[in-house]
Amino acid sequence: MQATLHRQAAGKLFQDLRANPVVVLGLVVVLIWFLLALLAPQLAPAGPLQQSIPDRLQPPNRSFLLGTDELGRDILSRVLYGGRITIPAGLAVIIIDGIIGWLIGAIAGYLGGIWDEILMRVTELFMAFPTIILAMAVTAALGPNIRNAVLALVIVRWPNYARLARGLIIETKTADYVEAARSLGARGPYLLFRTLLPNSIAPVVVYGSLDIGNAILLFAGLSFLGLGPEPSSPEWGRMISIGIDFFDQWWMWLFPGLAIASLVMAFNFIGDGLRDLLDPRLGR
Amino acid sequence: MPLYRYIIRRVLFAIPMLLGITVVSFLIAHAVPADPINANLPQNALGNERLVTAFRERWGLDKPPVVQYLTYLRNLLQGDMGVSIKTKNPVLEDIRQFLPATFELATFSIIVGLAMGIGFGVVSAVWRNTIFDYLVRVFALIGVSFPIFLLALVALAVFHAQLGWAAGPGRLGFLVRDPPHVTGLFTIDSLLAGQWQTLRDAVAHLVLPSLVLGSYVSGIIARITRSSLLEVLGADYIRTARAKGQVERIVVLGHGLSNALIPVVTILGVLYGNLLAGAVLTESIFAWPGIGRYAFRASTSQDFPAIMGVSMLIALIYVVANFLVDILYFLLDPRIRYT
Repeated sequence: MQATLHRQAAGKLFQDLRANPVVVLGLVVVLIWFLLALLAPQLAPAGPLQQSIPDRLQPPNRSFLLGTDELGRDILSRVLYGGRITIPAGLAVIIIDGIIGWLIGAIAGYLGGIWDEILMRVTELFMAFPTIILAMAVTAALGPNIRNAVLALVIVRWPNYARLARGLIIETKTADYVEAARSLGARGPYLLFRTLLPNSIAPVVVYGSLDIGNAILLFAGLSFLGLGPEPSSPEWGRMISIGIDFFDQWWMWLFPGLAIASLVMAFNFIGDGLRDLLDPRLGR
Repeated sequence: MPLYRYIIRRVLFAIPMLLGITVVSFLIAHAVPADPINANLPQNALGNERLVTAFRERWGLDKPPVVQYLTYLRNLLQGDMGVSIKTKNPVLEDIRQFLPATFELATFSIIVGLAMGIGFGVVSAVWRNTIFDYLVRVFALIGVSFPIFLLALVALAVFHAQLGWAAGPGRLGFLVRDPPHVTGLFTIDSLLAGQWQTLRDAVAHLVLPSLVLGSYVSGIIARITRSSLLEVLGADYIRTARAKGQVERIVVLGHGLSNALIPVVTILGVLYGNLLAGAVLTESIFAWPGIGRYAFRASTSQDFPAIMGVSMLIALIYVVANFLVDILYFLLDPRIRYT
């Protein structure tokens, strides 16, 4: 499935994707969230940190569409601003992971032998920990903030990318055109980056786009555990964990929760459609 | 290959894994933070020269890294995982106290998850491309997209607070006393003591959290059951069974499902790890006094030794669970005996 994804096929794929209503729905929802996050300063009725104690714990009503929290902050504004933290964090995780994972996997697959053995054993080690648990330990060690939460997720997610890239490189490096490049004198980094990279990157990109949903869920989870942004931050997971203490004020935890769920679900809708199209055996 | 040789092989495979886990934990605990003393001792102890020296000595922090690692490993083998900053107890003691509650919850959850997941998977495969199939697939997608802590909150708000169908947070009601401690599992302990009232209460309190955790893993199970059953139902021996006039129900459930479940078995270990991770995110919401809530509290209060202890423990359980699953797989699938 992977190596056959060439440019021509990609055009066909895009057409098929547009014909799939679930994928279209996913794309629309993701687009809406991107716009909401981008335009949050224009759309939000209040600042995300702006407190108003007299208005605290208001249920959803005309002046506060999604209610207010324990400090009288407007939930709608906070949810809108939250996208500005979570979406870039999720994207950062998969982009950095894609790069690091591809490099490690490619080096293992390209060099083979003892290097392959060492790199892959290390990869398996990182996979022995359930993701969120390892991320928890790393963030706790580094100190809780957004950057470290992203870093922790990079550390726990790269093995998936490395394994994928390794397989692709091993498959690609025996191809005729690689042999041709080699016979023209291409070696080492040149061969790796000019010949093997362009021919093995597409599946990594596809996998990354399937993985954004997971990255966002994990980021929200860390932040729910208090290991992400600082407590006053309008990050969705953080808002939910504060909301636990205000169980009866359901609007405090439900709306940020639906924000995460709708965004992740949209990404998964796209991913699911993508997977069906790339691997017809699974869908039908 | 006989079973004992297979077991020896898996054990030999698990040992480097276990050692590797200690290396990763060691690296996180010692190499990553600026100063392990700051991370492991409570604020008020940092000024106390004697405590700091004692800590440095105990973990060999003035020695080279390799010696530090060996000291760490020795302490670990003696059950020394450090002292929790928050509870002031040795981490191992805390874990011993909280683990049974989580074990009980996880066991109930995996049963619920398997029942739901396999059921949905079969429905979805047998009536594929019908409305049932789409419903199951959407359910599975929602299952992997919903943050589990939100699922827990919604379940509690709807089924407990609104409808009053399910028992609330905690392992037992307010007026019910803990059964005499034998295993730490309230269902087993109350059964042993013959306290039927307590047993009923314990099970009632398990329903909601295990439904939440169970449905969290059931999506993955349903997906795998579906695709595996579809593949099996296309096999020659299924056609043979049908050709000889076997009842369809027996063809699907007997011949089909029993073979289709092998891939489900292989991921049980991974699912168990997911469940424990899910427990970390949901136990606080259900006021469930297990290691998940312990880890949650440790995280929110920066209790570093406790977090490391729990991570290590869950990684160990994960390796052991996968080891057991490998053996189960060996017993179930005769094909790997000859490879």
